[in-house]
Amino acid sequence: MASPVEQFQIKTIGPELHVAGMDISFTNSALFMILATFVVGVFLTQSMSGRHLVPTRIQSLAELSYEFIANMVRENVGPEGRPYFPFIFSLFMFILVGNLLGMIPYSYTFTSQIIVTFAMAITIFVAITIVALIKHGFHFFTFFFPSGAPVYMAPLLIPIEILSYLSRPVSLSVRLFANMMAGHTMMKVFGGFVVALGVFGVAPLLVLVALTGFEILVAVLQAYVFTILTCIYLYDAIHLH
Amino acid sequence: MIANSVTRWSRRIGLAAAMAAAAVPSWAATDAQGGGGGGLPQLDATTYPTQIFWLIVSFILLYVIMSKVAIPRISDVLEERQERIEDDIETADRLRGEAEAVKAEYEKAVADARSEAHALVRKAMDEIAASHATAEAEAAKKTAETTKAAEARIAEQRTEALESLKSVASEAAAEATVKLTGIKVSDAKVGKAVEAAMQGGA
Repeated sequence: MASPVEQFQIKTIGPELHVAGMDISFTNSALFMILATFVVGVFLTQSMSGRHLVPTRIQSLAELSYEFIANMVRENVGPEGRPYFPFIFSLFMFILVGNLLGMIPYSYTFTSQIIVTFAMAITIFVAITIVALIKHGFHFFTFFFPSGAPVYMAPLLIPIEILSYLSRPVSLSVRLFANMMAGHTMMKVFGGFVVALGVFGVAPLLVLVALTGFEILVAVLQAYVFTILTCIYLYDAIHLH
Repeated sequence: MIANSVTRWSRRIGLAAAMAAAAVPSWAATDAQGGGGGGLPQLDATTYPTQIFWLIVSFILLYVIMSKVAIPRISDVLEERQERIEDDIETADRLRGEAEAVKAEYEKAVADARSEAHALVRKAMDEIAASHATAEAEAAKKTAETTKAAEARIAEQRTEALESLKSVASEAAAEATVKLTGIKVSDAKVGKAVEAAMQGGA
């Protein structure tokens, strides 16, 4: 029987590609990233192609996701968040579809790869820090000292604030990666039970059904959490507390 | 929130690992063959360049599709709908205003007609009353005239009768005086005496 973590194995598809000494071969992970892009692109463009005044079901789904993220940006970042809306909407749809595609049997969940989530989180972190620096210059560093705190607390507060700021990309990426990995591992384990127990496998099968529903919830929730935290960090960068 | 989720996932991983170990005792062996040094496949750093590369490629592709096609298209439709709704509300408001104007006009027309009818009735009544009054006045006048004429005639006849009575009385008095006394009295004197007697007798 296969290991429950074997599903996370990266497998090369097609010929191996090496550029500048780096292996950039097309893999199962890459396939699902491209697939997610494709699904999001087709979903959001084709559903709107009718441009119905009274939306069809699929069109109202697309509009719903648009307005969901538009409201999220408006409420959590404010009107200054408008230029970042395309990025945040793309981010949400990419993670959401990535998570949900992973729920299809035999598919691959690229969001269960720490390197993928970390690459996204660190990019967001660096970009947001740059936005803050451009917007506030050196004034940005007052962010690490909460206003109103007594000055003698500075030696304690500043390292804590810096540490918590630096841990943002870590917590952001680990949260998504760990949720996806743990969920899929658990499902694989229960799948193993179903096979191993034969007729009595019905019991873990029921658990597996419930778990599948739960994992779909987690898939949506984690995409939401990742996106809303990005919005909150962006708010901090624009408004400094 | 962060700490909470960290404990949550670590607990879940622990649980999953324990179950994995219980269910599949041989998983370490299968993992060793393909795991890139054992442990989680996610920690195999040799897969990182390809994953980062394809992540960048697909995300940039997605960002371009979103910002160039999908988002403008959705926001266009939403704006169009918003405009349409506002237009419809405006039209409804205008129509309601028009309906109200028509209603007011109708009510005014009804009120006008009513007051006109009222005026007509009043005018007719006034006319009737007026003609009635003239007729009455004319009748009264005619009656008065007739009465007057009759009275005049009566007075005339009366005076006439009195006149003739006076002459007859004077003649009779003169005759009587002559027969009784043998004195002839002048007509004037007799007339005077008769008048005085008649005046006193009357």
